[in-house]
Amino acid sequence: MPEIPEDVASLSFEAALAELEKIVGRLEQGQVPLEESIEIYRRGETLKARCDELLRRAEARVETITVGADGTPTDLRPLDPE
Amino acid sequence: MSTLYVSHGAFAGHLVPQGHPERPERMRAVEQALEAECFQSLVRVAAPLAEASVATLAHPENFVEELEEMRPREGMVMVDGDTIMSAGTWEALLRSLGAVVHATDEVMAGRARNAFCGVRPPGHHAEAVRAMGFCFFNNVVVAARHAQRAHGAERVAIVDFDVHHGNGTQALVWDDPSLFYASTHQMPLFPGTGARSETGCGNVVNAPMRAGDGGAKFREAFDDAILPALRTFSPDLLIISAGFDAHARDPLGGLTLQASDYDWMTRALLDVAHETAGGRVVSVLEGGYDLRGLGDSTAAHVRALMGG
Repeated sequence: MPEIPEDVASLSFEAALAELEKIVGRLEQGQVPLEESIEIYRRGETLKARCDELLRRAEARVETITVGADGTPTDLRPLDPE
Repeated sequence: MSTLYVSHGAFAGHLVPQGHPERPERMRAVEQALEAECFQSLVRVAAPLAEASVATLAHPENFVEELEEMRPREGMVMVDGDTIMSAGTWEALLRSLGAVVHATDEVMAGRARNAFCGVRPPGHHAEAVRAMGFCFFNNVVVAARHAQRAHGAERVAIVDFDVHHGNGTQALVWDDPSLFYASTHQMPLFPGTGARSETGCGNVVNAPMRAGDGGAKFREAFDDAILPALRTFSPDLLIISAGFDAHARDPLGGLTLQASDYDWMTRALLDVAHETAGGRVVSVLEGGYDLRGLGDSTAAHVRALMGG
C-alpha cells in the first residue's frame, strides 16, 4: 500500500475518484510523456489507496448496524459523519 | 560460432538536457558491464554509418528528411516533450541503423550465432511518421525488413520485454502477416497502448503487467501466451527489443524483475529460435534507466546469448 501524501489524504472520495479517473484516462490515451508517466501512475496509486481507505471506513460503519428482535435496524449511525 | 556485440562511441554523442533519464551514461554502464572476463570471447564490432535511406524500411522518405533537417548544429531541439535532438543525434541514429543492419547481415549469413546491438537512442516507440518517447527510427522493424529484403527471410518475429509497450513496432507490423510482435509491459503506463485485445492481423501478442509484477508473472506470460504464439509463427529470425527498465531498480517503471530474470527470458527465446530459426537472434537495446540495473541486466542477457 503506498503512503498517502497529505494533499491526497484530505480529498473526499468523489474528488479522489475523479482525479484517479482523469489519470487513468490520460495514461490510456497516451497523453502523458514517457518521463512523467511513472510519476503520474504513482499519484494514481495514492489516490486509489485514499479511495480504498474511505470505502473500508464506510464498510466498517455499515457493519456496526445491528438488527433488533422485531427485524428493524437499531444503532443506526450516519455512514459519513465527517 | 560467436556472439557479436555491435556498438559505437557515437551513441554517447546523442546529448539530452540535464536530468533526462535516457542519457549518455547508459552506454558507459553497458560497456562496463561487458568488460568482465566472461565476455572476452564476445566479438566487438564498431557500428558502421548507414545511409539515411535505410530508415525508409520503416519510415516514409519525407519523415526521414524532416528529421535530418531538424538536427541542430549546436544546442538541442525538442522533437516532442520527451524526445530531443542534439548535434550528435543524427550520427547516433545512422550508426544505430548501421548496427542493426550489420548484426542482421552477420547473423543471417551465418557468420555470427547471434548479436547484441548496444545502441541509443532507443527505437520501439517510433511510429512511421512520429518520433516519440526518446525514439526516432524504429531499429527493430528496420532490421526485420532488412532480413526479409536482403536475406530472403520470410517470417521475422520481434519480442519486446521493455517495461513500456512498443507502440511504434506494433503499429508498423499491424497488418503485415510476415512480421510478428509480442510484448510484456506495464499497463497503464506510457504510451497507453498494449492491451491484450490488440492483436493486429493475428500477429500481435500483448501481455500487459500490473505494477509490482515480477519474474513469476513474466514466466506465466511467456509460457502461456508468448512462446506458444512464437512457435506457431515459426520465425526465420528472432529480434529482441531488449529494454531493461522492467528491472526492480528502474525509476521509470514499477515492475520487479531481477537481472536473473533476463537470463531465463533470453534462454527461453533462444530455445524457440533454435527450434525454428536456426538459432538466429538479433537483440537491440531499448530502455533501462537505472545504471546498475541496466548493467546487471545487460550482462545477464548477453551471457545467455553467448550460451554461458
